[in-house]
Amino acid sequence: MKRAPIVIAGTVAGLVAVLEFHSTPAKVSLAGSTLPSASTGRSTTGGEAAGSATSGTRTVTGPQVNYNWGVLSVKVTVSHGKITKVRLAYLDDGSNPRSQYIDQQSIPLLEQETLHAQSANIQGVSGASYTSAGFTQSLQSALHSLGMS
Amino acid sequence: MTPPVVRDLVHVMGTVVTIDVYPLPGSGALDFAAARTVLQRADEVLSTWRPDSPVSRLRRGEIAAVDAPPELSAVLTACATARELSDGWFDPWAMPGGFDPTGYVKGWAAQRALEALAGLPVSGALVNAAGDIASLGSQLSGAPFRIGIADPDEPRRLAEIVELTACIATSGTYERGSHLIDPRSGEPTARVASASVTGPDLGLADALATALAVAGLAGLSFIEPLAGYEALVIGYDGRRQWTSNFPFAGRTGQVGSVPL
Repeated sequence: MKRAPIVIAGTVAGLVAVLEFHSTPAKVSLAGSTLPSASTGRSTTGGEAAGSATSGTRTVTGPQVNYNWGVLSVKVTVSHGKITKVRLAYLDDGSNPRSQYIDQQSIPLLEQETLHAQSANIQGVSGASYTSAGFTQSLQSALHSLGMS
Repeated sequence: MTPPVVRDLVHVMGTVVTIDVYPLPGSGALDFAAARTVLQRADEVLSTWRPDSPVSRLRRGEIAAVDAPPELSAVLTACATARELSDGWFDPWAMPGGFDPTGYVKGWAAQRALEALAGLPVSGALVNAAGDIASLGSQLSGAPFRIGIADPDEPRRLAEIVELTACIATSGTYERGSHLIDPRSGEPTARVASASVTGPDLGLADALATALAVAGLAGLSFIEPLAGYEALVIGYDGRRQWTSNFPFAGRTGQVGSVPL
């Protein structure tokens, strides 16, 4: 079997649809409630970090949301209509060693999963990703504040 | 415009279950209620996280198997089958603290939830219970679903990609709460870093992946004869071994990550 070529075919619009919540976030119990103190994303535009040469690059930090093991928020960079970078902007997992271990394992996976959804043409990852609800919610809010959802 | 994928999240059994459906054009709003109900009912009956669930009461000896609700009876029967098919490497009756079907019920519940989506106007659907995935159909284009297997050593990467025809379950020591126990010794044991099983039923695939992670390479011998089921193990040294028809989507079985 030959490996299929990697096709950069996804768009931000497509990804947002991938991440669309069918239910309202309020229905996502336990890990899904947005913290009232940080309910909106903070948007910066114009490629603040990368300079004017990358006009069209925008970075935004999503709201802090509760997840099973603590609180997190996600920072996303969009360039010319594509997500180019996804990183954790904030994480408080209560310094529980087990939670820290799992977060070290699962959060990079979620970061990559977001990019893969655009670039690798996969529809899921097998192997644990227990942090996904909070991550997805913060990411979606970040994209929303960029006017992309 | 019809979105390519609609996602729903359900928090059950101490984890998050993701439901993704691929709507047909013009299908309008989709009703996930039946699938959600299946998952919530499974949580009520089968979650060892809930002290008042029938499975918890069975574990404490407060009810007998004959008095179990139908969901628990079905799981008891299926667990006995999985124990036999895995040469005893999956054995919920041998767990410390009493009967613990956790290695089976997550997949079983996701499989049932998927079946509840079958009547929707979609080209395909995926139910992902924390990395154990049941699917039906395909993407709207007709292309099969492609699923990455997390690299146990390097979570930023995928170890392999599979082309899914039905289900895939992966067990490994990196999972929260996996508590892989060797039923023969009662000790926490995983002889490989990661074990994935594909096949038509996610409950059985989940149980077999749990068994295979404990048994290690030798466990491939109980998967190979099972019609429709295939397996891949990744050793602590990164080496892969797999059954004869494992559904790789691309490069197969080399040490190292898929270069995405």
